[in-house]
Amino acid sequence: MLEKQLSGHRVDRSICAWFWDKAISQPDSFKQQPVIASPTHYLFQVLREGITFLACTQVEMPPLMAIEFLCRVADVLNDYLGGLNEDLIKDNFVIVYELLDEMIDNGFPLTTELNILQEMIAPPNIVSKVLSVVTGSSSNVSDSLPGATASLVPWRTADPKYANNEIYVDLVEEMDATINRDGVLVKCEINGEVQVNSHITGLPDLTLSFKNPSILDDVRFHPCVRYRPWESDQILSFVPPDGQFKLMSYRVRKLKNTPIYVKPQLTSEGGTCRLSVLVGIRNDPGKTIDSVTVEFQLPSCILSADLTSNHGVVNILGNKTCSWSIGRIPKDKAPSMSGTLVLETGLERLHVFPTFQVGFRIMGVALSGLQIDKLDLKTVPYRFYKGFRALTRAGEFEVRS
Amino acid sequence: MFPQFGATAESLTKASTAVLRIGTDAHLYDDPEDVNIAPLLDSKFDSEKCEALKRLLALIAQGFDVSNFFPQVVKNVASQSLEVKKLVYLYLLHYAEKRPNEALLSINCFQKDLGDTNPLVRAWALRAMAGIRLHVIAPLVIVAVQKCARDPSVYVRKCAANALPKLHDLRMEEHASAIEEIVGLLLNDHSPGVVGAAASAFTSVCPNNFSLIGRNYKRLCEILPDVEEWGQIILIGILLRYVIARLGLVKESIMFSLFNKDIENLEEDESYITSNEEAGYAIDNNVSELGNMIFQCYIEGPDEYLSRSSSTNRVAPKLDVSQFTSCSNEVVKILLQCTSPLLWSNNSAVVLAAAGVHWIMASKEHVKRIVKPLLFVLRSSSASRYVVLCNIQVFAKAMPSLFAPHYQDFFICSSDSYQIKALKLDILSSIVTDSSISFIYKEFQDYIRDPDRRFAADTVAAIGLCAQRLPKMATSCLEGLLTLVGQEFFCGEIRSLDGEEGVLVQAIISIKSIIKLEPPSYEKVIIQLVRSLDKIKVPAARAMIIWMLGEYCSLGEIIPRMLSTVLKYLAWSFTSEALEAKLQILNTTAKVLLCIKGEDILTMRKIWSYVIELAECDLKYDIRDRARFLKKLLSSNLESQHGEEENSESQKRDQSYILAECILGGQTKAVTVQSEPIDFRFYLPGSLSQLVFHAAPGYEPLPKPCSLPYTDLDQYDGATKSDSDEEDPGTSGSLDEESASNYSSEQSITGSGNASDSDESVSGNEGEDNAKPLIQISDTSNVCDTGFRDLMSTKSLESWLDEPTRSSKGSEIKQSQIRSSSARITIGNIGSRVKPKCYTLLDPANGNGLRVNYSFSSETSSISSHLVCLEVLFENCSLEPMFDIVLIDEDYSKSSDSTNQTSPTTENTLKFHVDKPALISMEEIPSLEPGQTAKRTLLVRFHHHLLPLKLALFCNDKKFPVKLRPDIGYFVKPLPISIEDFRDKESRLPGMFEYVRSCTFTDHILELNKGSNSLTEDKFLVICETIALKMLSNANLSLVSVDMPVAANLDDASGLCLRFSSEILSNSMPCLITVTVEGKCSDPLIVSVKVNCEETVFGLNLLNRVVNFLVEPSVTQL
Repeated sequence: MLEKQLSGHRVDRSICAWFWDKAISQPDSFKQQPVIASPTHYLFQVLREGITFLACTQVEMPPLMAIEFLCRVADVLNDYLGGLNEDLIKDNFVIVYELLDEMIDNGFPLTTELNILQEMIAPPNIVSKVLSVVTGSSSNVSDSLPGATASLVPWRTADPKYANNEIYVDLVEEMDATINRDGVLVKCEINGEVQVNSHITGLPDLTLSFKNPSILDDVRFHPCVRYRPWESDQILSFVPPDGQFKLMSYRVRKLKNTPIYVKPQLTSEGGTCRLSVLVGIRNDPGKTIDSVTVEFQLPSCILSADLTSNHGVVNILGNKTCSWSIGRIPKDKAPSMSGTLVLETGLERLHVFPTFQVGFRIMGVALSGLQIDKLDLKTVPYRFYKGFRALTRAGEFEVRS
Repeated sequence: MFPQFGATAESLTKASTAVLRIGTDAHLYDDPEDVNIAPLLDSKFDSEKCEALKRLLALIAQGFDVSNFFPQVVKNVASQSLEVKKLVYLYLLHYAEKRPNEALLSINCFQKDLGDTNPLVRAWALRAMAGIRLHVIAPLVIVAVQKCARDPSVYVRKCAANALPKLHDLRMEEHASAIEEIVGLLLNDHSPGVVGAAASAFTSVCPNNFSLIGRNYKRLCEILPDVEEWGQIILIGILLRYVIARLGLVKESIMFSLFNKDIENLEEDESYITSNEEAGYAIDNNVSELGNMIFQCYIEGPDEYLSRSSSTNRVAPKLDVSQFTSCSNEVVKILLQCTSPLLWSNNSAVVLAAAGVHWIMASKEHVKRIVKPLLFVLRSSSASRYVVLCNIQVFAKAMPSLFAPHYQDFFICSSDSYQIKALKLDILSSIVTDSSISFIYKEFQDYIRDPDRRFAADTVAAIGLCAQRLPKMATSCLEGLLTLVGQEFFCGEIRSLDGEEGVLVQAIISIKSIIKLEPPSYEKVIIQLVRSLDKIKVPAARAMIIWMLGEYCSLGEIIPRMLSTVLKYLAWSFTSEALEAKLQILNTTAKVLLCIKGEDILTMRKIWSYVIELAECDLKYDIRDRARFLKKLLSSNLESQHGEEENSESQKRDQSYILAECILGGQTKAVTVQSEPIDFRFYLPGSLSQLVFHAAPGYEPLPKPCSLPYTDLDQYDGATKSDSDEEDPGTSGSLDEESASNYSSEQSITGSGNASDSDESVSGNEGEDNAKPLIQISDTSNVCDTGFRDLMSTKSLESWLDEPTRSSKGSEIKQSQIRSSSARITIGNIGSRVKPKCYTLLDPANGNGLRVNYSFSSETSSISSHLVCLEVLFENCSLEPMFDIVLIDEDYSKSSDSTNQTSPTTENTLKFHVDKPALISMEEIPSLEPGQTAKRTLLVRFHHHLLPLKLALFCNDKKFPVKLRPDIGYFVKPLPISIEDFRDKESRLPGMFEYVRSCTFTDHILELNKGSNSLTEDKFLVICETIALKMLSNANLSLVSVDMPVAANLDDASGLCLRFSSEILSNSMPCLITVTVEGKCSDPLIVSVKVNCEETVFGLNLLNRVVNFLVEPSVTQL
């Protein structure tokens, strides 16, 4: 909460004080506002895991650029520090400073590719920590410029060497669905990502093709993907960065089915309200559905709630959030939760209704139906191991009651 | 600092992470001051230095001022350890502006680092040096950037591009052209990474210098997909502006069609209809008008547009057809082609920027392409979702059909923040169509039950908007709203639910606006609302219902009949009503009274007088006022009705009746379709201004269409041809080599003092690599003056031989005088030609008729070497005589203590001599008659060779503050030396003491044209003369030698070389200037000027001055 890097025109630290004053005086609305016009500056804020990243400017600039950059900083720090929290940042404040200095110069992003940053400034790890304890000194700043900055593939570490060449391709999909009060599926779509973890020696040139690319509604690519082959043949041709990265994200719209159903029912009379929620499998995807959870926020007019379930655990947290973790749906019975909610005195019936957020995970299936056809390696002669996986989980899966 | 947040770091997690924190810098952060930092900084070991620096950083992070360690830290800049360097740079940049003098200590180190073999070191040094932001070192930084811009390492070039805006921030007009030149160079770089950074430099340095873009337009477009994402964002904007400025709007774009609707009404309307049918959507005039306005705003800026539209009633400026281009135009096509793949970018900012280009440039069919990517971006972080939605909102308003089929994407998730929900609702209500309304309406019904009541209220408002937009749906919307109103009053009494009131009020507002559309058909609705009056308790809602009652009191059949009952009820409840409801009861009663006919009239009057009575003794004066006002207004009306037939024709009463009618009944007429309250300010898509609804500083609307002159156009065409010629053979490899070889020669110059001399000639003649026959006599070093005289034409030889015989005035400036006298021989009017430039010190307009001009004289002071001689000319232009004119230095006492702290360790780059007065006191002019002039010689001690000196001029006892601008050309005095001495001195000042800049020189053309009839005149000689004259009349130099090429081509002046020598007044250091000419005699020449001087800062400034005056065309010669 104290970290700051000043570049460009001097910005007084007091702008932060102003920000916090405001944030404390109007906690809800202020924190959600990504662009704030303060009396002296324009502020951009991105909130990640309790850490607020602020950027400020006095002149016109593309706001998304600032926001995207802050997100990138958060990602990079997350990667470097293995998480994001106040202590981690404090403990590694020197690295944070060095990173920021490398990432932005005079208000314009300089180096934001993780691969290159890692070569310039070594991430903290156990070895370096131990080393610094023992010897009392260690430098995390690299002595030479990463070769990649000069190459035509600036995202890739210059010349990595691996004993085992392997590449893993994961399809990670998130299902967004909205089911309205009448139980009708209003919206159902998949937002997927192709995540690749590559450990290949040299400068591999890969092509990845899908069996059914036509189902993709829209796509976004990592900078390494060449646009031309996709435009003409819908083939992904790319030179991958080293390590884990997101090759592309895609969207498949207008799906007809969800794997599970959640049916909430609320009936209220005489100051109490009866709630029951049923969960079950609608379309068996062929693999087990696990980590099923149902969460909802009790409306503020509810004084107390008494909820039980025949499977899984029900928890009501302090902020009136109720979470029911079911885990794996049993074969023999449909899990259900029921109970009564006591309304505020004077209130006969419930007039506002909570929305239920559903979570689940299915390993081994991409619900969109997207299938990878083949992954080929050009330019590098030797053999390598290819691994494919798929995973679907719930994104913004909402059931209204 | 923020204790409330410090507390959030819970003690529990602290204990658990304590183990993990071993080996990190945590202890440094927690107690940065537990050891004495100062000795650590002076330590021999890098690790200890590191620790100390880390502690300092920790202190900075926590908001302490540790600038007192500055001198110690700066010393460490010379460290070899990169980590120490990095940390020092971080510290240095943080405090450099506060401690400028100490920061200067580090400059030499940076200079050295710039020559390092490690590109990382070079880049860091450049970044730090540029980041220090001091005026004094700016010339040094420019040279450094110039060198780094040709560095073989991409990273260094990128840093050079990034350094340009920093330089630009210092606002040095004299270097602006140099900076722009570098921008152009970097934009031309073959590495996409550099181009991105250069684009960013372009926007901040010279956003309107489109000729730089024009030259490279095609290549920039092609390289665009490979540029890194941040650069793409900026570059897209630049290219868009360029195309608009050059070609204007695109005929097929929606922007044009909306913009130009008035002009080509027929055609456009047809296309509208077809497109509407496709989308199944009816664009009413409102929408297209809005679109028109949006685009006007893009071009003119909203403030300008709004002010114009209010004054001249929205007469769009007549648009020339020539201001438009078509999509098939090559230039537009390339831009659209190259930006469309960027819609797939991972970076939402890039997507939005590319979408903006298509929005403005692309044809109507192609604009559709931006829809899906924009919607996909909505899945990224919530902050960017908000920004994108804000932009979609504008798009959707201007062209609803674009987003209409995608209404599902704007359905609300419970995880959305309130702002996002509100935006989505607004978009939904503007893109709603007949086919989608049922789905959207169903959604809205769900939203009304959302626990967030503020959002529910907004939903209700959105329903109202939808109903207004699609009258077909109005009835069903109204029904929904009525049931809502019916529901809400159940909880109307519960105080804790503040939100409910809002929902209810909003519902009534929506109902009201729907009724307004077509009051007669909604009679029953009004009745139903009025019936629910006894249940609805929210004052605002009650007030509105009561208003409706009054407004539509004569509507239909049932309402007039129930009026008396309702009014009785209202009168009865009057005392318990809230303020707003009371006011409305008064109004309504008055309205009813005006329009009512028949038997009820008596009851009405009773109610009226009862209500008025109550109101007149109300506690609130608003109500009392209103009551009195209405009473007075209606009194005549009432009386006339009282007195039945008698005197009913009275004019006066009639008038007041009409008045009352107008005031109370007038509102009914204002039933028009009101468009939703939009903020009528639109800014370019993706701009910050669009989000904050005002023009942020630095916001610029699109350039005026076709504002770019056509000369640039030709340039572009030529450039593309040559571009394509060049590109094919050497896109990557050969260019790389070239820059590398350039670099190596320069590096050796920068690097160390013992670089071989042979390099210099390479750097001097860098450009001329082709093999034109060129004999450069000077290179053969043995040939002395007499040698090359033989080679000249006889005519010029005579003039050369003549020169020694000419007498000169002062012995110490002998040679320069000789040079100018030789000019006299050929031209014949020396007096006007070697006249030093005259500057104005005081304008007669400002000085009560006193004109004071000054010029630098070539004489040097005999008193002190720090003094510069000036000739000041006083002229009385007024009609009265003037007395006691004197110039004095007032600031002397003040300034002497402020800058005097410059520590003795400061390098010789900067020496302030402020301990002495700046002006050797001038002889006073006792009186000056009108029209009379007086001349005085002034000896001035400038504090710095760039900063103007503030003086006070007294005349007639009045004080005029004046500024004396120094001319660095007169901070030197001629140093007459032989060519051998010159060479010798030059060889001792290589590397970092040598600076080269080139410029164009055009003066000689005039001169050549003038003497074109006398063919005998030697062109070379003329050029020599003009250059020499220019040099000598602008700076106090002495000409050492002139080398002439003996070229087969008589028109080729390349290789002409003039040498001048001088020494700095203050410390007698030699300062050598070499001017080398290149190009054809009759064309503008490219002149490269080289300065060798031990004092780097001075030398650079002198170089810049020389280049500046060489470039600027001389007026005196005409």
